[in-house]
Amino acid sequence: MIDQQRYQLEKGVLCQEHFPENAYRFVGIGTPEPYLRIAAKSNSGKVYTLHIDLKEFPEQIPEVYITKMLKDYHGNNMDHPSASLHTLSSKNGWTRICHYGTNAWTPMVSLYRIYVKCRLWIEAYEAHLATGNNLDYYLIHAH
Amino acid sequence: MADIIYINHQDVINFAASTVEELDAYAYEWEGEGVVHIHLHPLKHSFGDLSKVSFSRASSVSTYEGDSRFVVLVATKENIASATLFERTSDGYSEKDYVYIPSQEDLYSRNEGLLELDILSKKKVIIVGLGSFGSQIAIELAKAGVGVFSLFDFDRVELHNLSRHTCNANELGRLKTDAIEDAILGKNPYATVKKYPVNINEHLYLLEKELKNADLMICATDNNASRYNISKALVRHKKIGIFGRAITRAEGGDVFRYRPGGPCYGCLIGADFLPPEEITNVESARGDGRIPAYVSAEDANAIVQVGLSSDIQPICNLMVKISLLELSRGLNSGINSLEDDLVYDCYIWANRREKNYKEWHPFFQAGKNRTVIRWYGVNVPRNEGCAICSHNVELDVSGVGGFKPQVDDLGDVTLEL
Ligand SMILES: [Zn+2]
Repeated sequence: MIDQQRYQLEKGVLCQEHFPENAYRFVGIGTPEPYLRIAAKSNSGKVYTLHIDLKEFPEQIPEVYITKMLKDYHGNNMDHPSASLHTLSSKNGWTRICHYGTNAWTPMVSLYRIYVKCRLWIEAYEAHLATGNNLDYYLIHAH
Repeated sequence: MADIIYINHQDVINFAASTVEELDAYAYEWEGEGVVHIHLHPLKHSFGDLSKVSFSRASSVSTYEGDSRFVVLVATKENIASATLFERTSDGYSEKDYVYIPSQEDLYSRNEGLLELDILSKKKVIIVGLGSFGSQIAIELAKAGVGVFSLFDFDRVELHNLSRHTCNANELGRLKTDAIEDAILGKNPYATVKKYPVNINEHLYLLEKELKNADLMICATDNNASRYNISKALVRHKKIGIFGRAITRAEGGDVFRYRPGGPCYGCLIGADFLPPEEITNVESARGDGRIPAYVSAEDANAIVQVGLSSDIQPICNLMVKISLLELSRGLNSGINSLEDDLVYDCYIWANRREKNYKEWHPFFQAGKNRTVIRWYGVNVPRNEGCAICSHNVELDVSGVGGFKPQVDDLGDVTLEL
């Protein structure tokens, strides 16, 4: 679970990367259910809220959700694990993003870097909505 | 109440094929564990039958009035206890020969000289993960005389474990902590075993509590999350940890030792590739060659251990050796000379020339070339910014493929809470 030291570090990084204070909030730090809510604006100007579960962070890849159920190009709910769409099983009616592979994960990865990967996911998602190409087509499996 | 019940499938098939209407069968249960095995025929294991025995201080069996099958008459002469054994027959009790199950002192004296067994008997080892690695290591340490164990594993013995596990088919369904406790006590009846059938990632406080007075921790789990959690605990409590794993299909594997102040498992995995300088140093004795690619981030988590038991045994064996070396370090033991040999942080082993080891030279006439079935030692640089072992953590805040998103336009958004 995220401890005080790591929390301070992560907050420091977000500050250093010039995130406006209204755009993120850490909730439940020091409780068994800590998480981060952080806003993301796509290039097209659409705003999404990311929910990053910090229960097992940083030892394990944190679960990341968009706080609503997204629809794919065909109008289907993005609520199940899909390799081509980079999604996992949904929770609370939220779409869960696959942002990191287990092989690439280390506890050194910052929440900021996860945010960057999620921003890329969002761009790929919007491109998918526009063209019908899978997210796979846009996302490189690089880490 | 039985919670988990196994029925011998072959018995069901045989009964169905027979013409018999009804047969008495046998149900075996480990007392208090709630695991029952049902068989049509009695199992030929050693503790299938319970007979009544009396220990008595009577001077003669003729004064004994009970009906036990066995009577053990115990006498003390000049502070030495002795026993005489009788078994009931149709003509009354008759004296029988017997052999002692060794006392604690006798049991340890058998290995004396090579290891400081009376000291090892007070050493406490935590083993996290009792799969194909942890089960073997537990038993080997018990054989060597280690006396105090704390076992962590929430799993039960299942069919898919059996081929590489120390447990046998009669133990299907048992908690591994229970089964391995029995195995340890079978080798060292005077050992103390504490059992924690829990997931350590969710019960780290239990691990930390046990670690406070432990001498060594064995990490034999199959995922990096637990390795990182264990590393953190080792760093915090300044304890030695031995990590081991096999890579896919057990074509090879590695052993890592954490020592307080040295590189941790996070440093090892964060290093992505082991630095070429170190390898060249190691290889100066063995010849040329590049470090196997399996320490790359991509393969670091490849822990599907579906190889042969014989492929993981060399890895377990080195983990045991390093453990015994650490436990008897500084003591006058017969394995002290290994202190000059096993000086590396990480040890690499290959079983077969497959995948990562495809290019390696055949063992036959290898000369200085890198080959299978040999250990290679590597020193891992400590990462001064490591998220696990450093006070000055330097997180990975890099962008992805040169991309860093604009965030200053988020000033006007309303965060959903
Ligand atoms: Zn480290």
